[in-house]
Amino acid sequence: MSLIAHGLVGRSDLPIPEWLFGWGAAMVLVVSFVALALLWPQPKLQREHWRPLPGGLGRPLASRAVELICGALGVFLLGMVIWSGLRGTQSPTANFAPTFIYVIFWLGLVAVSVLFGDVFRAFNPWRAVGRACAWLAPTVSRADLPKPLEYPQRLGNWPAVAGIFAFAVMELVVSDGDEPHNLAVATMVYSAATFIAMALYGVEAWIERGEALSVYFNLFSRLSPFETRDHVVGLRRPLSGLAALKPVAGTVPLLAVIIGSVTFDGAAEGPLWTGIAPDIMNFFDDLGLSAQRAFEVTFLVGLTATILLIHGFYRLGTIGARSVGGGFSALQLARAFVHTLVPIALAYVAAHYFTLLLFQGQAFWALISDPLGNGSDLFGTADRQVDYAVIGANATWYWQVAFVVGGHVLALTLAHDRALALYEDTKLAVRSQYWMLAVMVGFTSLALWLLSQANG
Amino acid sequence: MSSAAKAGLLIGAIAIAVVAFLVARPSDDDDGDRRAAQTTPSQPQDQASDKAEPSAPPPPVPTRIRIRDGAVVGGAPDIKVDKGETVRIVISADAADELHLHGYDITREAEADRPARFRFEADLEGAFEIESHTAEDAGKDPLVARLLVEPS
Repeated sequence: MSLIAHGLVGRSDLPIPEWLFGWGAAMVLVVSFVALALLWPQPKLQREHWRPLPGGLGRPLASRAVELICGALGVFLLGMVIWSGLRGTQSPTANFAPTFIYVIFWLGLVAVSVLFGDVFRAFNPWRAVGRACAWLAPTVSRADLPKPLEYPQRLGNWPAVAGIFAFAVMELVVSDGDEPHNLAVATMVYSAATFIAMALYGVEAWIERGEALSVYFNLFSRLSPFETRDHVVGLRRPLSGLAALKPVAGTVPLLAVIIGSVTFDGAAEGPLWTGIAPDIMNFFDDLGLSAQRAFEVTFLVGLTATILLIHGFYRLGTIGARSVGGGFSALQLARAFVHTLVPIALAYVAAHYFTLLLFQGQAFWALISDPLGNGSDLFGTADRQVDYAVIGANATWYWQVAFVVGGHVLALTLAHDRALALYEDTKLAVRSQYWMLAVMVGFTSLALWLLSQANG
Repeated sequence: MSSAAKAGLLIGAIAIAVVAFLVARPSDDDDGDRRAAQTTPSQPQDQASDKAEPSAPPPPVPTRIRIRDGAVVGGAPDIKVDKGETVRIVISADAADELHLHGYDITREAEADRPARFRFEADLEGAFEIESHTAEDAGKDPLVARLLVEPS
């Protein structure tokens, strides 16, 4: 009874037909071998390459005024979510909060980040409030704020891992995770935790590593050619943003949580999971849990197991890559190649959710006019209906397979370039790549298999 | 590898991809290629098994679903149709119920002695759920059936 199973999904995807599954799988292999032969012999993506937008556009786009407007809009939308969640109708589809959080924000911002860069940084309401406080506090208290604590190395991205996992639990496990009131409360709890952490470690330090949503959208924004440096928007070489990712503790588990939660959401509709879930549910039933709790615990077990399997599979590949020599530990290799999982994560998210964004995203217009679901019509758009005919089943299938194969190509390219930079000996670089190639073929085949299951 | 060889390999790979796609796609007429021979038989078979199921109705025969004690008898079925077909679904319940077909956004009431009747043309492709609002309000799994409309 997760959100994706019912709730906000008006039209879901048909499984991709067998012939397309076969064609997609064949293409993955063709692409892999062709890429090995075609890709460059010297690393190309590791060097920084950035220049401001032409025409002097880079400076005004990242100016203080634009930042202020974006930050204010972010704070306004955060307020809208909490207000409509607490005060509005509790029907998930008629209230602004669920569609905004799960579709417009969670899915829409991934698309925006990939196209236009780290836009969320400008709109991030917690960052905006934190910076406003940091600016106002010394004036009000007439004294300097105490220096923030140093961000602990070992913490790394772990708070973000916890945050994204919590989001996935809310979306896929909690029975009432799409109820507006629960979403408003969760948003307030997350806001409070974020403000406390920013007060402790400083706004920018927390945003950069700990704040789950910032870290999440920043990962995808690294696929974009746009990057802001020193208040100037500029262009970078395609894919170089990912190569410049500095992995810290928790970055590898973070990617496992992202890929694993999409995998579980896809598999939860398929026969494999619907076959074993009742047995697990009965087990928890026998332990004395109510039917709803047993259902939730079962899905929590499934979600966690899927994430651990994804993580384990990737680590297995890096252990294999270590065996070719070169003197790197498996953990070093896991971190050195973790950026290659970002396009794969994008492929999973895009293939699985792009129709949800396409359909339910249209509901934004009706909901922004009637956020509480009480019949108001603020902007005259409350009557807008979702047009489910904007894309047919065939086109959906082709896009899904294109996302998966495209993600595979990008991951392969990034891994190739990193291997060349990492290993002094070209022979080792090539041999280590076979392991990474196996990992990627595994992830890509899994993605195709999920699409061929019921509901994709 | 020379750049000419690389370009040749790339063009060759793209050509293989395009040809394989065109050949594998079932809407094409059967031509003698082996790939087509491998993939197309499964397609008519699928169609045949779809048609054999009682849940894939030619227009005059409605799909019948029964709800007893708040649960679908025999579990929520998949109703497979091709785009453009007229779909008829009759849902009988042992208590008053409100049934909603997502996407098409059709809602029908059922009473203990009067089943809910759906009749419409399947003009939207995709998978759509029929849910029981009564079950949803009671905190039970609301899924009554899934309508799968495949491209014709």
